[in-house]
Amino acid sequence: MNRHSVLRAYLAGICVPTVFLLVVAAVFTCLRYVYNIPLPVERVIVFPMAAVPNLWGLWNILFVRVLAPRRVSLGLFGSLLPLLLAPLGFMVARILQFPVPTHLLAAAPIGLPVGMILYYLAWKYLVGSLNAELELA
Amino acid sequence: MNKKSSEKAAGDWLRERLRATEPPADGELRGDLWPRMLERIAEASRGRELRPSPVRVPWFDWALIGLAAAALLFFPALVPALLYHF
Repeated sequence: MNRHSVLRAYLAGICVPTVFLLVVAAVFTCLRYVYNIPLPVERVIVFPMAAVPNLWGLWNILFVRVLAPRRVSLGLFGSLLPLLLAPLGFMVARILQFPVPTHLLAAAPIGLPVGMILYYLAWKYLVGSLNAELELA
Repeated sequence: MNKKSSEKAAGDWLRERLRATEPPADGELRGDLWPRMLERIAEASRGRELRPSPVRVPWFDWALIGLAAAALLFFPALVPALLYHF
């Protein structure tokens, strides 16, 4: 199964955030329309809907094509993705004039390592199993 | 008369079809069944070997899970921010 390895890597990469997007969208919709939280979430929902899954796919392509032959750990590589996503997400929020709550910004020094831990686990176990299933790495 | 002959022809046709479909029962074994049984057992054990083993989670991953869970418990404000980046 050596054909279309880039396509398979992309699909394996986008699978996890795409499935998780159901949870994200449900939580944000509940917060906004059930609990009437006065934050215009719909303004920034494009980031988890479009940017995050695509970056996961591209990150996995990069891993499969460049790093997997060099025996780099998928979990460690995946844990680096929040370092790119966090500033990007913040930038998108600022560009779209989303009022980022100040307590969230204050929690960033804790949030970033926690995000990296969760990404490490998700990449190691979920994306790793998908890659193995698709005979990628 | 004509009706009887057509009924007979239909009966013959049906009989022929049934004979063609169902092989005659000879009541004897066509071969030793034991080698086939052994083959099946070997196939089943090969299938068990190919089945993926349960995921082993090392202790430091459990520690990381605990750390992340504790952080989310003590700082629930992180949850929407993490959902936004997932």
